[in-house]
Amino acid sequence: MTLPKGFGSGGGGGSSSADVERMIGKRVENMTGMITASYLAAWAATFGGTAAGYFYYPWAYPTNSGHFAFIILTIIEAIGYIFCVKVMQEGSNKNSNGVVAGAVGGTAVGTLLISMFVGF
Amino acid sequence: MAQMPALIPKEVEIQRLKKLWLIVIAMGSTAASVEVDNFVDGSLHQTSIRDSAFTPAHWWLYSHFITLPLGWAAAAMYDRRIPILRGPNNSINTGLKMTILGYLATMFTIGVNEMWHFWFVEEIFAVPNHWMFNMGVVVAFMGALAYVVRVYARLVELGAETPGENPYVAEMYKMALEGKLYSRSIP
Repeated sequence: MTLPKGFGSGGGGGSSSADVERMIGKRVENMTGMITASYLAAWAATFGGTAAGYFYYPWAYPTNSGHFAFIILTIIEAIGYIFCVKVMQEGSNKNSNGVVAGAVGGTAVGTLLISMFVGF
Repeated sequence: MAQMPALIPKEVEIQRLKKLWLIVIAMGSTAASVEVDNFVDGSLHQTSIRDSAFTPAHWWLYSHFITLPLGWAAAAMYDRRIPILRGPNNSINTGLKMTILGYLATMFTIGVNEMWHFWFVEEIFAVPNHWMFNMGVVVAFMGALAYVVRVYARLVELGAETPGENPYVAEMYKMALEGKLYSRSIP
């Protein structure tokens, strides 16, 4: 197969596995760390957004409404996070179920504690 | 099942399609959360007046008018690395074009909407300035659906995803891969 300019062996058109690896860059099955960090950042931002609502605009956004939104959003984010990691690792030998369980469990407990004790 | 010609090695294409998939899943989460906010926003407007454009239910609602266009822009830029997803005459993918047009309409409507609410009436769902929000989002989602089905069909074709076991769904993917569904007629 002819490879894009800069890859392969100078006009021969052949591709080696090293060329293919260089074209791929970071493989998706190795992105669990970045995906987990993004999920935790999204969860923290969700808390920040809802907290700003019930601390600064309590007349428009009661704390209970904020926590309701926070819980629903956390569930949606967790589903997206699990999808991301599972789809990226399917068909490979990688398995990050422990990391996923830890992140989702941690945010579940955190969401519960925040919903019970913050903003009242 | 028709096999589309590959311009880049199969392994590279699968990895790139999956990186695109990451962006799409993140945007899917955003879209799902905004679906929830439709109810939050609707219930807020039944009980309180529109004292500001920046009530919390609006932060949530308007944030997707920023995140989804930015996300689709990222998808459109990354999309250039996957030859099979190019549109006619090597232009941008037609589904992506529709998505961008739809979000341009909604971004324009944010301004129109603020003017309308400043001069005229309260937050009533059916006021005309909201029509363009809804139409823009629907156009954007239609384009996005065509694009996502195309990406998924290509992953099936490359053997990286398993098509649905439901015979009707399997038939749909087969038609998509044979160019008889919109995922080929909208390249």
